[in-house]
Amino acid sequence: MAAETVSRGFGLGRPGWRASLDIVRTVFIARLRIILRYKFAILGETLLPVVFAALPILLGTAIAGNEQAAADNFFASTSAAGQGTTEFRLYMLLGANTFMVVSLMLWLIGYWVRREQETGTLEALYLTPAKRIDVLAGVTSYTLVRALIAFSTAMLLGSLLFGVNPLSGNFGVAMGYFLLGVPALWGISFFFGALVMRMKEANAVIQLLQWVVSFAMGIYFPVTFFGPVLKYVAMSFPPTLMNDAMRSSLLAIESFYGPWYQVLALMLLAAVTVPLLGYEFFLRTERRIKRDQGVGQF
Amino acid sequence: MAEPIIKAEDLTKTFVSKERKRGQPKRKKEIHALTDVSLDILDGEVFGLLGPNGAGKTTLIKCLTTLLLPTSGTAWVNGFNITEQEDRVRASIGCMLMGDRGLYWKLTGRENLDYFGALYHVPRADRLKRIEYLIGLLKLEDFVDRTVETYSSGQRMIVAFAKSLINDAPILFLDEPTVTMDVPTARDLRQIVKDLNKAGKTILYTTHLMHEAEELCDRVAIIDHGGIIALGTTDELKRSLGREDVVQLEGVFPEDSVARMRAVPGIRAVNAVAMDSGLTKLDVACLDSRAILSKIIEAVTGNGATIQFIKPKEVTLEDVFIAKTGRTLSVDTRVVAEKGAAARGR
Repeated sequence: MAAETVSRGFGLGRPGWRASLDIVRTVFIARLRIILRYKFAILGETLLPVVFAALPILLGTAIAGNEQAAADNFFASTSAAGQGTTEFRLYMLLGANTFMVVSLMLWLIGYWVRREQETGTLEALYLTPAKRIDVLAGVTSYTLVRALIAFSTAMLLGSLLFGVNPLSGNFGVAMGYFLLGVPALWGISFFFGALVMRMKEANAVIQLLQWVVSFAMGIYFPVTFFGPVLKYVAMSFPPTLMNDAMRSSLLAIESFYGPWYQVLALMLLAAVTVPLLGYEFFLRTERRIKRDQGVGQF
Repeated sequence: MAEPIIKAEDLTKTFVSKERKRGQPKRKKEIHALTDVSLDILDGEVFGLLGPNGAGKTTLIKCLTTLLLPTSGTAWVNGFNITEQEDRVRASIGCMLMGDRGLYWKLTGRENLDYFGALYHVPRADRLKRIEYLIGLLKLEDFVDRTVETYSSGQRMIVAFAKSLINDAPILFLDEPTVTMDVPTARDLRQIVKDLNKAGKTILYTTHLMHEAEELCDRVAIIDHGGIIALGTTDELKRSLGREDVVQLEGVFPEDSVARMRAVPGIRAVNAVAMDSGLTKLDVACLDSRAILSKIIEAVTGNGATIQFIKPKEVTLEDVFIAKTGRTLSVDTRVVAEKGAAARGR
């Protein structure tokens, strides 16, 4: 379209990849600075999964009478589900930790959108020419680092507390699955962020979905315990795949999803498709909001 | 003649909201926030946008800054279409739209400027220099390295203003930038706005303060009920009322003073009244008192008159606003402030 007005200034130039990287870096550092100025946030994230894991571990032990009986019970139950293991403490700890990572990565985007909406910084952000993908990359990099810190410290703390060795299985492969599962989490977080932007509400939705996610992921039990419909719904949820892949490699048990190459293929598929779908949904929602009342309306 | 740098053509924005009345089902209601707004803002001018609350000012600015998509019509900013080249429109503008909102309170002023500079694609080395320049220009040294949460509202406003300048854009959108600033800071800011304009920036300025609009704006548009109801220079708008300025002179005037004054071009009428003090009061009605005041004085003093007191009563932009909208801006602002206070008290 021909310009209908005079035109000048550096808005005429096209920013390159360096400008994009600069945005990712700046957003990442700003988020990190902000959270470090809330002194107890990271400490809470470290302790929470340990507490989450402690509850079923202690309950299981109490019901069985002692740790060995609890381990035997757990082996019997999980064997029926195709995942026999006596290491119930690591099973729970890993499940609780992965849930914490999933929670952080999913909800941080939603909370971020909501907070920016309330403080007016979302509108300020939309007034800049920065590409949404660059800003989201900055925020998601931050959520990844925050989740990794929480995961590592909570695993270390939990392992010391419950006397388990997290390095007994194939730790490297488990971490590989962890990283491969992250893009799918980003994709879901984009869906969720878009919903929060649209609904202008984060807390109630997050509180509800948090328990649905923990249930669907099977943080304390194999999802094969579910009935057929619920089982396949749960298994099609990418965090369940990630959780199972990490568990199977760390505890040297079978995966519900089949041999390793099937697990890997599914994870790759999720890593590619879910972020693309999530980002597309985010852009469409954003467009719709701009047609309606605007992103700054809160 | 300067060319337009912002051009709106039949810009229309209709919001659809749900009306909830007790005992009745929800109904969709259309709100016409903008109706066929067309205007040109010229390259290098300070353009004032005045209007009562709910008149459509914010919606117009949001459409022009790409925050909202218009329902129909279109606009160009710096040569870029607002619906098809949004990123390039945004790269062409600096904005201060929400007062001190839009800053991260847990970051310092400097960190905020750096953050938004990156988002505007200002290269890091240029950004650091630009931040230092703005700190000096706006006198931010004393507080720029503290987190924004510790600032006074005036300090937050000035940092928000600095943010709008971080990308050194050719066009600035300033929405009531002096609200909550103390008098000297507001005066300094207006001077900076004038300097920025002299340096070539086009500025779209909204304000509730008529003296600000008169002091800064080359042209002013009054917007009400989603449409532009008056547009022109402040002088043109005042003249459009067809009212006269009245200059009151008190003093000792020889007999033919009235006749001499009536002979001055631009004077419509002169009325003389003898006062108890022995002085005479002359009410001089004219079209533009500023333009001919020196001639009035020359006409009477040339005849040996002694002027002891001059009191001009000019047509103001406030008069224009009242005539066009039926409201004063100050009343409008007070109503909103009262509603806000009531809402906070709930």
